[in-house]
Amino acid sequence: MSARHILLVDDEPHVLRVLRLSLEREGYIVATANDGNAALAAMAQQLPDVLISDIQMDGMDGRTLCPLARATYPDHPFLILVMTSMTALDERAWARELANTEFLEKPLSPRQLVARLSRHFAALA
Amino acid sequence: MKLNRIGIILIACALAAITLVVALLVVRQQASQAAQVRNKGVGLVKALSTVPMALLADSSGRSGVLAAVLASNDGSDFAYVTIGDATGRTLAEIAGSGSIAPATPLPADAQAGFGERTLPATGGSAPLREFYGPLADASGGKAFVRVGFHQPGFTVLAQDVSFLALLALMMFLVVPVMYVVIKREMAPLAALSQQLRGQLRQLAAPGRPDQAGADDMRELIANMQHYLDQAGARIVQLEEGSLNTTADNRLLQYGSKKLNAALQSLPDGLLMLDPAGDVTFASGKVEPLLGIPMDQILGQPLDAWCCDPALRTLFGRYSGDLRDNARSHKIDFAPQNVEGRQLSATAQPLSGGHGTMSFGTLVVLRDVTREYLARQAGNDFVAHVSHELKSPLNVIGMYAEMLADSDDESMRVESLNVIQDEIERMNALVGNLLNVSKLETGSMSPERNRVRLDDMLRDAYEQALPRAEGKQLRVLLDLPRELEAVAIDKDLFRIALNNLLTNAIKYNRPGGSVTLAARNEDNEIVISVRDTGIGIAPEAQDRIFEKFYRVSEAGAATQRGGHGLGLYLAAQIVELHHGRLVVESEPGVGSTFSVHLKIVSAPAGAAVL
Repeated sequence: MSARHILLVDDEPHVLRVLRLSLEREGYIVATANDGNAALAAMAQQLPDVLISDIQMDGMDGRTLCPLARATYPDHPFLILVMTSMTALDERAWARELANTEFLEKPLSPRQLVARLSRHFAALA
Repeated sequence: MKLNRIGIILIACALAAITLVVALLVVRQQASQAAQVRNKGVGLVKALSTVPMALLADSSGRSGVLAAVLASNDGSDFAYVTIGDATGRTLAEIAGSGSIAPATPLPADAQAGFGERTLPATGGSAPLREFYGPLADASGGKAFVRVGFHQPGFTVLAQDVSFLALLALMMFLVVPVMYVVIKREMAPLAALSQQLRGQLRQLAAPGRPDQAGADDMRELIANMQHYLDQAGARIVQLEEGSLNTTADNRLLQYGSKKLNAALQSLPDGLLMLDPAGDVTFASGKVEPLLGIPMDQILGQPLDAWCCDPALRTLFGRYSGDLRDNARSHKIDFAPQNVEGRQLSATAQPLSGGHGTMSFGTLVVLRDVTREYLARQAGNDFVAHVSHELKSPLNVIGMYAEMLADSDDESMRVESLNVIQDEIERMNALVGNLLNVSKLETGSMSPERNRVRLDDMLRDAYEQALPRAEGKQLRVLLDLPRELEAVAIDKDLFRIALNNLLTNAIKYNRPGGSVTLAARNEDNEIVISVRDTGIGIAPEAQDRIFEKFYRVSEAGAATQRGGHGLGLYLAAQIVELHHGRLVVESEPGVGSTFSVHLKIVSAPAGAAVL
């Protein structure tokens, strides 16, 4: 099985670094971007199997990026995981209309993320 | 007694009037009947005069023509028709029942043409009116036709009796009323007149004692005075009544205008709805609040002007079948026609008489934009702060996990460093938040003392050194030999200085430098913090002292963990010391933040700390 591509989008460099290290240790190929625009540019280079994005970011935020990524590549079945520290339910309505999109609760545990991705790819196989 | 006489005269006048009217009616009736008889008579005579003699008077003495005349006229006041010769001899004759043609000779002028005359009554029968004329057919010598009618009597009046009785009754009803009214109004005048007459009589009678005359005169004058007083009082009473009514109206108008002015000048918009739900009153403020012209609101159906669904629902509660009159309701809404405005509408049933009467509904519209924005700002603040606190917690959690999982020594060192940084960041945030809150609520009052800044600047420099070294930065201190004293709160000022140095280190580039300098300048001391960092774009320079403002340039503030409070707090503190915080910056070259503080001339014997 070829290596899976993961795109990480967050404006917090520490988060990107830790998640990148954790995922790379598991054999994933990881690309990072610090906002939506950079993420779209990265997607043009390499389409990810999973897009993991923060919501609040300067520049293009996650709320804009996720629907745009979905609409730009309608034929590419990638999973979107939205990292959010906002627990309010009304902040999630926008993502419900997006297919194949789920939330990751902050504070995020790299271990749990790795487990979550393993389950996802196991289900695909 | 005089008055009674007036009454009697009035009644007599009424009777005379009735008599006159009846007489006029009778005369008119008689004249019209006489005219009728004359028309009939003359017509008949003329008609008969053209008939041939043979048809009128045949040998048997009975004429078909005359019989026909009788048949068509019998029953009315017709009396007779005769045909006679010049000598008065009757050739033919026919008479109505109970009538005899008198054998009165015709006057001499009968030969000349048609004529008429009145024959006196004979033997109990009414007088007759006779019309005569010569016959055209003179074959049997000169002959004449005579037609008689009974003179009209008074019998005709009988049919008008009921009308006449009604007329008389009305007259008799009107007369007493007039009498009573006149007697009432004229009574004082009549009394006066009687008195005056008596007085005149007394004056006319000679030889009366002067004393009595004077007394009577006095009485007369007193009476006159009384009458005049009474009349005057009556006039005053009437005038007062009229004045009071006018004054009451004015007062009522004034009160109503005052109330209206008060309602119009209320800062809130008022709407009054009748029980059917239509607007009956709207104060001037409603127009700018809702952005709908007044003439579209007043007296118009709700559907025609109200385009705010929330407001319609509110109005709906107070009209129609779903009416809920007992309670008041309040809603907040953004009006459709006015941008960026937030309104609250409170509807309250208007009832009077202890709730038994309903005047409709009162709706108060209030501009709550400010409160709304303040509430929103508060919510934003909480969201922002919780996000700012959660982000370092998130990072700390991740690195802690990595610390536990990793055997790599360099990885463990990095994790510990990051965790320490994030804790510092949170600490700074919480500290600044508390200080900002104290500053904003005014609970932080600076304790200003005259101090020389040298030591404080040296301390700040010492503290910045280790932090700068970690980022490969040089820190330079540039102080003159002697600095003038300024009046500041040392603890507060240290926070401001610290924030400026923290920024200078944070937004610098490896190999760069931070310069902390101070100089005397006219009557000011200028403390500057200069860095060789990324700089600030000109459009951002105006906003960097705003609360929570962060330069949103990719790779700038956000990646360096700023939280938008440091410069805001520094500026607030400098302002509290009546100083100025000025920024000069060039993107890519660096920034200089300068604090200008007034030099305080030393009062005699004042200690410098």
